[in-house]
Amino acid sequence: MDAALLEQMLLGALLALSVYLPLRCGQLSLATPGFYAVGGYVAALLSTGVPAFAGSGATSPLPALLAEMALGGALAGLIALAIGRPVLRLRGIYLAIATIALVEILRVLNLNLPFTGGAMGIFGIPQPFEHAGGYVLFTLALLAVASWLCQRLEALRLGRAMAAIRDDELAAASVGIDTPRTKLIAFVASAVLAGITGALAAHFFNSWNARAGSFDASITTLAFVVFGGSRFWLGPVLGGLALTALPELLRPVGDLRLILFGAVILLGPLFFPQGLVTAERLRGLAAVLGRSRGRGHQAPQTP
Amino acid sequence: MSASPDGSTAATTPLLQVEAISCRFGGLLALDQVSLELAEGEIFGLIGPNGAGKTTLFNVISGLTTPSGGRCLWRGVPTAGLGPCGLNRLGIARTFQNLRLFESLSVRENVLVGLHHAARAPLLGALLGNGAFRRHQERLEARAMELLTLLELAALAEQRAGDLPYGDRRRLEIARALATAPRLLLLDEPAAGMNPAEKDDLRQLISRIRDHFALTVLIIEHHVPLMMRLCDRLAVLNFGERIALGSPAEVRTDPRVIEAYLGGSGGGSGGGQGSAAGEGR
Repeated sequence: MDAALLEQMLLGALLALSVYLPLRCGQLSLATPGFYAVGGYVAALLSTGVPAFAGSGATSPLPALLAEMALGGALAGLIALAIGRPVLRLRGIYLAIATIALVEILRVLNLNLPFTGGAMGIFGIPQPFEHAGGYVLFTLALLAVASWLCQRLEALRLGRAMAAIRDDELAAASVGIDTPRTKLIAFVASAVLAGITGALAAHFFNSWNARAGSFDASITTLAFVVFGGSRFWLGPVLGGLALTALPELLRPVGDLRLILFGAVILLGPLFFPQGLVTAERLRGLAAVLGRSRGRGHQAPQTP
Repeated sequence: MSASPDGSTAATTPLLQVEAISCRFGGLLALDQVSLELAEGEIFGLIGPNGAGKTTLFNVISGLTTPSGGRCLWRGVPTAGLGPCGLNRLGIARTFQNLRLFESLSVRENVLVGLHHAARAPLLGALLGNGAFRRHQERLEARAMELLTLLELAALAEQRAGDLPYGDRRRLEIARALATAPRLLLLDEPAAGMNPAEKDDLRQLISRIRDHFALTVLIIEHHVPLMMRLCDRLAVLNFGERIALGSPAEVRTDPRVIEAYLGGSGGGSGGGQGSAAGEGR
């Protein structure tokens, strides 16, 4: 497997975590690709237009990349903060439609703003890493941090409040949880993660245009989470990795590959309605690991 | 516990005053100028036939429904616009007639969610899981287990709430409500679906909880004998109107209550309600 595909898989896993955060709170938001595009534009504009970020020649310094990621995440987070309160009053499929509209608005803005390069977008974005391997290591570290934060959420008051809202929003409010605020935190965190991922992706892809944040991408990122499972962070990570890799791995079968990809997305939820990673399977896995550790001492018994 | 005399409630500010609350849903007047006062520490019962407006009154008090008229006062301060979260933080906790547990969470986690207000911890320490956070967490867990023990649910702590039998779910909702450290506990038909022995246990449990936490309890229940034994005072609702208020003995012998429950002739019933409305104001 080449490093470029691996990098795309890791970016897919980060975007899947961004979709997972509001879903963990029961909110079906499809806005992730919109914030991803915003983060990418921030990095593309800064590193091609501002000398301090551009570095020398085709390379850009690592601190500049970190600063762009911070700024891209911050701008995406601010947009989410500004629109979050009214948008999050919507529930279920209505929230999904409103967030699709947000992605479309951002896409049309990105196409038409005077400084975003129109349909061609921005290209010649300098590279902070000489090889794709550098991107892979950096993105792996970012994914590890994001996953660790999601894991910590399970033990935190905020994580419990989010799970409570997912199960029953009204009951959550009646035990003193500020439900609008908690939903807003999840939505903003999702936007920040998508913005950071976009800033990194813009460098990796070397060019950036409005197609980064499209309706198609909304559906694909949602498929990551539906396929992987939305209860535990490992689900979206696996879903993002697998479904990003699949179209590339299916390349040998030629034109059939999109049909096969569609079939996997269709059959996954049919056979695993909760996604690949569920609480029961995690417990099962832990039990199997425990047993195999114990098996070292005793010979397996056959009847 | 005898009925609290009227003199004592007048001397100090009541915990909760419900003042002429009306609630209209389209053409239906679910509550018609209902007034009540709850004194601190009493168990106050709300009875009445189906559709009398009892749960609507609960929803108004706990902030789920905005009344069309009237107001509620908490220790003399109006509570309008606070919403369920704000009212819970004031000290009002409730259970639901149709049970609203966090079903995918464990019994223990349901109570931990109830301890939300007590679980505030510095973010950095919480993220890193440092010693201070772990001790804080241990205190929370201990508090949750204390409540589960009190409600006789400790053995089921790791079960999924959605898998519990009916009676346990009702008790878990009470545990979750108590976790929010309320001053007033609203119980909406806590004995529904229980057999007579369970109902008797529940009655003792509610008394015990009230004494243990020095709580005020407002309870809706259809099982009248249980309410007569449990409550210090009772109010009777019928078609959105408060038709009686007083000690169990007074309410039991009130002719309008007997009429609402046993039903009179068509004309007599209408007249009864008319006179109740007239005296109520």
